[in-house]
Amino acid sequence: MEVKGAQILFYYVLAFFVLIMAVSLIRARSAVHAALYLMGTLIGTAGLFLLLHAEFVAGAQILIYVGGVVVLFIFVIMLVNVREEVTEATRLFTRQEVVAWVLVGAMTVATIIALRREANLLPSAVAPAEETALAFSEDTQQVGSALYTRAALPFEIASLLLLVAIVGSVLLARTRRQEETFD
Amino acid sequence: MSGDMLGWALQETTSLVSRFLEGLAAPKGVVDFLVLSFMLFAIGVLGVLSRRNILIIFMSIELILNAANLNFVAFTRYWQAMGRISENMGHVFVIFIIVVAAAEAVIGLGILIALYRNRRTVAIDEINLLKW
Repeated sequence: MEVKGAQILFYYVLAFFVLIMAVSLIRARSAVHAALYLMGTLIGTAGLFLLLHAEFVAGAQILIYVGGVVVLFIFVIMLVNVREEVTEATRLFTRQEVVAWVLVGAMTVATIIALRREANLLPSAVAPAEETALAFSEDTQQVGSALYTRAALPFEIASLLLLVAIVGSVLLARTRRQEETFD
Repeated sequence: MSGDMLGWALQETTSLVSRFLEGLAAPKGVVDFLVLSFMLFAIGVLGVLSRRNILIIFMSIELILNAANLNFVAFTRYWQAMGRISENMGHVFVIFIIVVAAAEAVIGLGILIALYRNRRTVAIDEINLLKW
């Protein structure tokens, strides 16, 4: 799969965008800003999916994550919002922050070195016939037929999971007064 | 002697820089996507381990799941270009991860609302009732 030519520029733009948004997310003071940075990260990743010819997944990412999960986060921020984090005096990080930095830094350096070293062992994929074979809408068709044939059982289980999640969240989030009224 | 050392160090640095620049201009293979995805994952882990606000910890978990999705899609593309597979089950996995992430966010935020109603805080180091 080689990303070539003008696509390299897109790769870099999207990669830097995603990383900058992710770093801003974990450093954001206000939770609303963090939610907006999360949205930026997810949109950037959707662009990377497009670069990898995963059009359906990119669309689903935008619809479900950006349209659903981020909106849900913003609703919850509205319900529980604490204004104290916005003031300078409040600590943003726990006391194990330094340990976390050291652990994650060591893990990052080790993994990136290992990935770069093994990169030559991976056979590089150049299949010119295959590169042009995928038409624009074929990906969606393939994902759809796979969802209804090979992945039919997990598909049903996922619908059950969503039902349980809906009922569970309603049960968890109701107030004492609502419990007394409806039980 | 020290001139030799200096020349050697200079040569090494130049070759390192030129190799780095070559890497920047080279076609992007699967490993570049893996490195990007790993960096996203590391940032997410850092957010989970270091932030106090539980909402931002949830958002960092979404970052981690997103990094996994990027890996799935990159490997699907890689194997397709190799001609080893024709279907894209990796994309199906990504759909399921998105579904499970949505369910996880819903349940987690429901717990968060119940917790906030009882304790009036979202800072994880003040929620220490079960701490030994």
